[in-house]
Amino acid sequence: MADVHKIIASVKDALGVGARSDSHAEAASATVPVAQSAHRAALVSTFARELEEVGGKFLGILTLAEVTNRIVTLAGEIGAKTVALGQGVMSDMDAIGEALERADFRIVRTIPVADTERAAMRERVANADLGIAEADFAIASTGTIAVVSTGDRPSSLTLLPPASLAIVQIDRVMANLAAVLAELGPAGVAANRLTLITGPSRTADIEKRIVLGVHGPKSIHVIVVWPRDD
Amino acid sequence: MAETPKARDFFESSRAAVGDHELRRKLENASARHLDHFAQVKAEFPAYDDERDAAHRIKTDAIAHLDELLIELASKLEARGCKVFFAEDAAEARDYIVKLAKGHGAKNVVKGKSMTTEEIELNGALERAGIDAVETDLGEYIVQLRGERPSHIITPAIHLSKEDIGQLFTDKFGIEYTAEPEKLTAEARSRLRAIFLNADFGVTGVNFAIAETGTLVIVENEGNGRLSSTMPETFVAVMGIEKVIPRLEDLSHFLEILARTASGQKLTTYTSFITGPRREGELDGPGEMHVVILDNGRSSMIADPVLREALNCIRCGACLNVCPIYRRIGGHAYRSVYPGPIGSIISPNLFGGAAGYLPFASTLCGACKDICPVKIDIPRILLHLRWKESAGERPPKWPRAIERARRGARRFAKMARHPRTVRALGELAAMVLKPFAHNGYLRRMPGPFGNWTKYRDFPRPRPHKRPAPGRERPPG
Repeated sequence: MADVHKIIASVKDALGVGARSDSHAEAASATVPVAQSAHRAALVSTFARELEEVGGKFLGILTLAEVTNRIVTLAGEIGAKTVALGQGVMSDMDAIGEALERADFRIVRTIPVADTERAAMRERVANADLGIAEADFAIASTGTIAVVSTGDRPSSLTLLPPASLAIVQIDRVMANLAAVLAELGPAGVAANRLTLITGPSRTADIEKRIVLGVHGPKSIHVIVVWPRDD
Repeated sequence: MAETPKARDFFESSRAAVGDHELRRKLENASARHLDHFAQVKAEFPAYDDERDAAHRIKTDAIAHLDELLIELASKLEARGCKVFFAEDAAEARDYIVKLAKGHGAKNVVKGKSMTTEEIELNGALERAGIDAVETDLGEYIVQLRGERPSHIITPAIHLSKEDIGQLFTDKFGIEYTAEPEKLTAEARSRLRAIFLNADFGVTGVNFAIAETGTLVIVENEGNGRLSSTMPETFVAVMGIEKVIPRLEDLSHFLEILARTASGQKLTTYTSFITGPRREGELDGPGEMHVVILDNGRSSMIADPVLREALNCIRCGACLNVCPIYRRIGGHAYRSVYPGPIGSIISPNLFGGAAGYLPFASTLCGACKDICPVKIDIPRILLHLRWKESAGERPPKWPRAIERARRGARRFAKMARHPRTVRALGELAAMVLKPFAHNGYLRRMPGPFGNWTKYRDFPRPRPHKRPAPGRERPPG
């Protein structure tokens, strides 16, 4: 960082430091309020509508037992042979993996890997037909899911396979982006890579015509999980 | 800059572009679609104007405290394990990245979409060092295959039709000709996916850098930014000094307006928050992460209180789509990396005045100001730059011409005080000029008047008509 002082100094000179106000501390905080208290069902229905609008598919609000069956059905519907999945945040992904195995799908489980095994693991995820990940949050106003990457829930799961499935707990559906960022907080955002995903990968680079699945998944499915089985 | 464009080059390239009706059709199409989508999402989002105000305020304040924020950002980035390099100009940034790539023996360099790396002309520098860098944004990939520059900030291949691109893929890859966007996209996907899985060095731009946390935020639709920043072992993010915002809570205001204005989406498909390199046990992310923070003329823009506002720009590209000049000549005619209204401001100042003619390439109609999501008063800054360029700090270029013009204006002022003389001269002009007019316009005029008709047609003077009784003045 040899030149840091030089550049900071030229910025400082340019600003003519001394004359400026001290408004920095509060200047930004007068903002649009974080919406919190809307009804869950209303939030989920907004989320579902927005997700469909960006080309995603909403698979419904299901109990955990139903989730497993629905995932097995979906894997069959899209003609998947191999399914990649990681660990969940709240959900038992092992049970889902076992159910898929019983239904004769090949399973790739993402687990923390040593550096030497990364390329091989990545290849396996890339060759899977469907990637399943639990999302940390969903954003109703934009149909977005928010996924924090960890060792056993890598970013690749929602990026490399041509189809993507996310499950999210119903109490993690938030009204808007500001609410999710507030919930995570600076420490939560900085701890791991965070990705906001709004619909399938898309491009409009050829005559502004929208084409899905340019680099990431061509289809994205979301299930909202109702926490109780009773 | 590989070339230093001159006003004369601009006249030529814009004249040629204006005559290109096919280009015009593509630009009008794309702009119209963009504005349609924008109008729709804006109508559905009542908080849009509040968010614009918040974004404007945050950015203005951030620039006013930029020195402190840069110190904070650099120390947070380093605490997260990033290597930070401050580059004073394009050459320093280029050299740093080329040296790094060479030192790591990089073979497969992938690039996410980044105007800043266009600004520093990174690809050319890597190429000269014997390193191939592949642009992975579909539009950028296409223009790179054609050996061109992007013609729009967010839609690089806006000047090409699907048939052009189909032909390009046939020529370059030897595949069967198709003009279907779906098939062309699938072809690019499979070619680029193979490159990504073997990439060892990735470079992307940055949309926002959060000083509070040392987090870089990258906004995109395709996923190439995610791939470029997660697949390679070494990752370099390149950002201008103005990309820093103070806090995490500031971010949503920008994200709520950026995609809406840029592409008529509520949010882009992917928003990546990257804080430092890969953690222990993780599958994705670089082992080594560098952040190049570029000045390249930006600090001198801060020194000018009018110009400073232009650093609020978040590169949404909307001002291009509404600009009557851009919509007629496209991005390439400007002959600078950043085209359109905002480009006419930042290009001359980032490239050392080499494109000082650009502020004149505007009608000052104000459409750019109206659509700007961070409310930059673009026409005001353009006027300010014109003043600086033509009268500001140096003696006038043509003192005799100016004196002559003054004398002419005085004579006209004298004559104009006599309505009968004016009318008589008008009648005379109408009579004399009538045979030379085509469809009511004069294409060429004699003597010094020819300067007017060089670039525009002159409406033919009409003989005076006596107003109908009771209709002395037109209504309104």
